Amino acid sequence: MRCVLGAARVLEIKGEMKDMTKDTSAGAAGRRRAVSGDPLGPNSEIGRKLKQYYDELVSDQVPDRFAQLLSQLEQADPARKKD
Amino acid sequence: MAAVSQSFKTDLLGSIPSLRAFAVSLTQNADKADDLVQETLVKAWDKHESFQPGTNLKAWLFTILRNEFYSQMRKRGREVQDSDGIMTARLAVHPAQHGQLDLKDFRGALEQLPEDQREAIILIGASGFSYEEAAEICGCAVGTIKSRVSRARARLQEILKISGEDEYGPDAISAQVTGSNAA
Repeated sequence: MRCVLGAARVLEIKGEMKDMTKDTSAGAAGRRRAVSGDPLGPNSEIGRKLKQYYDELVSDQVPDRFAQLLSQLEQADPARKKD
Repeated sequence: MAAVSQSFKTDLLGSIPSLRAFAVSLTQNADKADDLVQETLVKAWDKHESFQPGTNLKAWLFTILRNEFYSQMRKRGREVQDSDGIMTARLAVHPAQHGQLDLKDFRGALEQLPEDQREAIILIGASGFSYEEAAEICGCAVGTIKSRVSRARARLQEILKISGEDEYGPDAISAQVTGSNAA
């Protein structure tokens, strides 16, 4: 599975991830601002449906393949301490 | 390279439901969504050192997932979306009656949005990100996210025939029903 990841794409993503990790403190302020007069808030039909749609997806049961995948990655991790 | 910590692994596991929801929102296809989540987890694992503990893991993962999605789209020449003929929602959607929209209709309407608008309205309206966070995830300006959300919302209202916020009355709407859905 790992072999399919092209080096160029990995680098591209690495660059973007550096940007991502910089600062997330702006998030809280944005969220507070969103409370009043929020066009997607609970008073909006679109807002309610969006949340309903998304919550249904989030609550979908996670297939076992993902836990298995993480275990495999852990086993294959070259830096993992052998004990 | 340092080993991946247990807490990172636990956090990854905990993020999977959100990642899957975002992936389905992007791809509109459950199988493709899960493949996308798998790719995202592998990448996140390989790049775990570039994640700074204490910062927003979910935003970091969403960024990876989104990049992967668009890079796959480019590679496949945009056949990613709807390649299985799933887009049935071009059909007329039943209008909202008394504010009670059917979730299936909503899903169909969401599917008709361009990807950039759909992801913006999902990130802001459903995933709980701020405009600033969504802008970082999408690699664009905050103003761009705002305008995409606003266009997405207007388009959804149009498709679902919601006349405007807090106006769910059947008056103008019922005329459209009898007019267009007579068959």
